[in-house]
Amino acid sequence: MRALVVGVAFALSLAIPASAAQDEAALGRATFAKANCVGCHKWHGNGGGGYGGAALSLRKTELDREQIIHTVACGRPSTGMPYFLRGVYDEDATEHPCYGFTRKDVTSSDNHVAEAAVFLRPNEIEAVADYVLNNIKGHGEPNFAECQAFFGDTSRVCETYKPQSAHQMPTPSTIN
Amino acid sequence: MKANKLHLLAGAALACLLSSAAYADNGPVAEKPATVASPDVTTERLNNANQELAQGNWITHHGNLWGQRYSPLAQINKDTVKGLHVAWTMQLGGVEGGGIWSHGGLEGTPLAENGYLYVTDGWGSVYKIDTRGGKGALIWKMDPKTDHDWAGAVACCGVDNRGVALYKNLVVSHTLDGRLVATDKETGQVKWQRQVANPDKGEVVTGAPLIVKNTAITGVAGAEYGIRGWIAATDLDTQKEVWRTYTIPGKGDPGIETWKSDNSAEVAGGGSTWVTGSYDSATNTIVWGVGNPGPDWDNAFRPGDNLYTDSSLAVDADTGKIKWHFQHTPNDPYDYDSVSENVLVDVDGKKLALHANRNGFGYAVDRTDGKFEWATPFVKKVTWTKGINPQTGKPVEYDPSKDVQGYAVAPHRGEPTTDFCPGNMGGKNWPPTSYNPELKLWYIPVIESCNRVTIAPEKAVPAKSREFFTGGGPSQPVRITGSVTAIDVTTGKVAGKYETKFPNLGGTLATKDLVFSGEPSGEVYALDGKTLQKLWGFNTGGGVSAPPMTFEADGKQYVAILVGLGGAWDKWFIDSTPELKTMQPGSTLYVFGL
Repeated sequence: MRALVVGVAFALSLAIPASAAQDEAALGRATFAKANCVGCHKWHGNGGGGYGGAALSLRKTELDREQIIHTVACGRPSTGMPYFLRGVYDEDATEHPCYGFTRKDVTSSDNHVAEAAVFLRPNEIEAVADYVLNNIKGHGEPNFAECQAFFGDTSRVCETYKPQSAHQMPTPSTIN
Repeated sequence: MKANKLHLLAGAALACLLSSAAYADNGPVAEKPATVASPDVTTERLNNANQELAQGNWITHHGNLWGQRYSPLAQINKDTVKGLHVAWTMQLGGVEGGGIWSHGGLEGTPLAENGYLYVTDGWGSVYKIDTRGGKGALIWKMDPKTDHDWAGAVACCGVDNRGVALYKNLVVSHTLDGRLVATDKETGQVKWQRQVANPDKGEVVTGAPLIVKNTAITGVAGAEYGIRGWIAATDLDTQKEVWRTYTIPGKGDPGIETWKSDNSAEVAGGGSTWVTGSYDSATNTIVWGVGNPGPDWDNAFRPGDNLYTDSSLAVDADTGKIKWHFQHTPNDPYDYDSVSENVLVDVDGKKLALHANRNGFGYAVDRTDGKFEWATPFVKKVTWTKGINPQTGKPVEYDPSKDVQGYAVAPHRGEPTTDFCPGNMGGKNWPPTSYNPELKLWYIPVIESCNRVTIAPEKAVPAKSREFFTGGGPSQPVRITGSVTAIDVTTGKVAGKYETKFPNLGGTLATKDLVFSGEPSGEVYALDGKTLQKLWGFNTGGGVSAPPMTFEADGKQYVAILVGLGGAWDKWFIDSTPELKTMQPGSTLYVFGL
């Protein structure tokens, strides 16, 4: 695991200017959507039960940065959490940084870890981990400002967070 | 200099036009006879839908208003079907994702009138396709610009739209984000729309509207999100809502005594209505299915029978007033919705409503008063109950003196997980059955299943909307397969079963001597209507999750089916059918001919 984190940190250390930090934040948010973290953890990261089982709440998580990176890269055996870093379970790699498991272990039914639909690059994994740390972990209930920051304002998806009750029937938008 | 260049370009353009004219016959847009305006679809025509079917049309969602999905067309029959092949295909759109969904899919039934097909994609775009001349040509596409994130965040079970309705010169459709849209049949321009469901409350709409006289009937989805279910009727001439009948009683309403705790049923009772129902014009009665109560699996949260969840409901078409109900699984701990269509049939002097329930039993009730006639299991394995009481029509373990039902085996707060058969997705889900009135055989698209529920007791009705309110969640520890199972309606017994490797996620079509269906692994197939022997198949290469239908153009019979990985299977249930993980999203209309 340490080799994994060191490798990823090295990639990150190449980025320096302040504007790159802004790009990093945008990359983190975009990755959260592109990798379909939204699909189980929801846009606000609170996860929840229902179909698909209980995806963990990233707001209530106590994982630190290293642990989040590890979880995204390696997934979690026998949960729904897939792995996002290409190659981590390769049999012939010199190291097996994810629980010491190889593909043989994680394709069995005992320690099953699904492959993500989309693999992420190390810098994307770091960016999404930082996005979770800065925007989700430890935050209270999701609110309108956070929702708008995530979706922009072309959708009605954030209306439900507005102060007034959402129980009036909205009017349909005009067709473009 | 510039002027010379313009002339040059103009000259080149002219030359292009002239040369392309020579290739018009090979161009991408088929040479077609001029578009013919179609006559109005009237109440009279809808009430005589069987005549339309005989003419090669299919002008209402289930073929006729009784929900039978039976066509008398006979060019394609058990002797000729071996020659069935792809006549043409058309790529459609709506594959992009939104909300919690990575892709849209196809679950729709095409409508057909005078050689024109009307189909929808998952996000609700409507396509009018000219099928004359032996090939498909798109006449117009209406994109309702569905709010992908708003609706997709609270669609429990896929980005899908099950089809349009036809009324006068309008094509009437729903959108996932809760609108009813009326489009001009000739021009494809939206005439008007209204908001019927409210995604802010966790409501979405996936079903096709049903035209009953001059109204469009809308059902709602969202019982996993703590909604209060309803059926609504919109007057298509005035665009106003005529009635809205709630499937969950409020304080003082009949049925409220079946919700015994203080938890307010009105807020989160469930009772969704997302599958298109049927209509009996002789009694002016709409028969519609009602879904699961909320929270889905924590039935101790909501002691009592929980009317009218898990029931078939008959309502007056003019007022929406409830005439009768028949409840299949009181105080349901399994998510055994009764949303399925009720197929209206007349057999041996009896006026019946047939309903293939999620709980694995096919029911027949008297459609004039909801009285139970018979029930028979159509799945191979049932463990949740030892059987249905032949007098009452209720599960034998049902105890009306108990507030919380345990049946033979059920998820409950004392046990972290419970396995039961059929699985929570049901022995049959939304995919439609079909009925052959000559053979008196009723064909059911079966999910031969068991699965597991992990209970997570709810403490209170959710404070905020648009969050899952399910009391736990399902997982798939065992393989799930499928079948087409025929029930003889004169005896109420299973008459045959054609087993399939995968669950039936698309539905069936009945013709004089054939049954058509499809597999989520790609194959569209035809079975002998009597023996269920397979007579024909074609692998489309896509995840078939929509019902086949049949129509005529230029005097020739075709079978049409939408193919495009739809629904919830690949997200929530895929572990039970690991081979299906390789199916890719897509969006294609297939038309087969001889």
